[in-house]
Amino acid sequence: MNIRQIISDLQDYYWLAYQGFLGMFRRPFYWQDTVEQMDYAGAGSFFIMGLVSLFVGMALSLQLAAELAVLGLKMYIGKVVGITIIREVGPVTAALVFTGRVGAGMASELGSMMIGNQVDSLRVFGVDPIKKLVTPRLIASLLMLPALTILGDALALFGAWYIAVYVSNQSGYVFWSSVRGVLDFQNVFSGAVKPFMFGFLIATISCYAGFTTRGGATGLRTSTTNAVVSSIIMIIISDFVLTRILLYVLGYKT
Amino acid sequence: MIRFEKVTFGYNTRRILNELSLTIEDGEKMAILGGSGEGKTTILKLIVGLIRPDSGAILIDGEDITGKSEDELNDIRRKFSIVFQQGALFDSLSVKENVAFCLREYAHMTEAQIDEKVRELLRLVDVEPAISLMPDELSGGMHRRVAIARALAVAKPKMMLYDEATAGLDPVNSDNICRLIVELSKTGMGHIMVTHKVVDALKVAERFVFLEGGKPIFDGNADALLQSTHPHIMVFVDELRYRPAAGS
Repeated sequence: MNIRQIISDLQDYYWLAYQGFLGMFRRPFYWQDTVEQMDYAGAGSFFIMGLVSLFVGMALSLQLAAELAVLGLKMYIGKVVGITIIREVGPVTAALVFTGRVGAGMASELGSMMIGNQVDSLRVFGVDPIKKLVTPRLIASLLMLPALTILGDALALFGAWYIAVYVSNQSGYVFWSSVRGVLDFQNVFSGAVKPFMFGFLIATISCYAGFTTRGGATGLRTSTTNAVVSSIIMIIISDFVLTRILLYVLGYKT
Repeated sequence: MIRFEKVTFGYNTRRILNELSLTIEDGEKMAILGGSGEGKTTILKLIVGLIRPDSGAILIDGEDITGKSEDELNDIRRKFSIVFQQGALFDSLSVKENVAFCLREYAHMTEAQIDEKVRELLRLVDVEPAISLMPDELSGGMHRRVAIARALAVAKPKMMLYDEATAGLDPVNSDNICRLIVELSKTGMGHIMVTHKVVDALKVAERFVFLEGGKPIFDGNADALLQSTHPHIMVFVDELRYRPAAGS
């Protein structure tokens, strides 16, 4: 792939992301499609998101308990786990699970529609495919990923509490009061901003990958892989950038 | 009237159409023939502005569409209706919802009117009993019929474009689709059928264009097509005459 192609692809991606975002404020509004996408992305992802978050919280609690025990600081499990989950691990875990389930689904569904001329059919019927297909998926991701992140955070904290109390023999009261202590504006704000950015990236990257599908089954495989890999890379990079910005904005010294 | 003036189109380095010039009159019943990858489907996509030519002009009723925006193209597209290869039905919608799609988008009809119109269109193509089925529950022939019904729901197109409408169908279903196309054309609506099956083309068209190397190598009526001595065309036409040797 040459430089010109990369620039051209980036330009097409920005255009799709821009038009998809703008579609939220322009008629016609495809409410039914939006609700269907929210159901698929939100309710459909709840179980897997909960399961993954629960075990991530449990593993994190185990790891920290082992290290903090050496230092004689096991009573700080709640505080450290709380900060880690709310600010960093919760949003990133939710975004990665969302990419695997919802992003891959978006890319393969739109890719299949491209191959089957369904997107061309929409254009012939005078329907803007970006408004009809991208905007509802973007809205669903922007609303559902933050919601899933909050639920995931809660379940991860529950898993961490279970390990702290029943494996590390810590007080549940101390654990929850430590967690409550870290639920200040800075930490909650840091954790709440990221899912919106991740949701935007996952939806736009996946829809772009779907729309650029060419060929048959191999093309579909390539676009789905591209969607997942590109989304994961962008989540990790943007997480670092956002963390840097948020720490600066919120007045933390690093 | 559709007019192609020295239209060139290619994907990456592969040239599909090479300075193609072609005029198609309103109401004409035409078939575009040729092998795979000769640019038959490309011509249909160029007519409705789904792709843009690399060079040359495409005039629809005297208006060059090559530089038009997507919004401007929507007015041009209303003059046509296209049935894509394999039907291109929306697989998340039922047969009824597929046919009702355009009616819901534009027609501002009540639910009862939409239901009545959908049934009328499905009756026309003889698949009304399938109204509540999903696309993956339809046979190949039913799939195409529903796609034709959906294309007719667009408005009153002056020309129907069929992209390999009989591809993958058994001879009985192919024949039924061809009959349906002929029946629909009796309303005065023209059609362009893209196919590689000469037998189907002969059933629906009066004018035949044969593409090779991105250019027409034949443009004429059925008699001239059958008598053509061009080796490439003869291969296609010979399919009609083929009979296995006795005892084989």
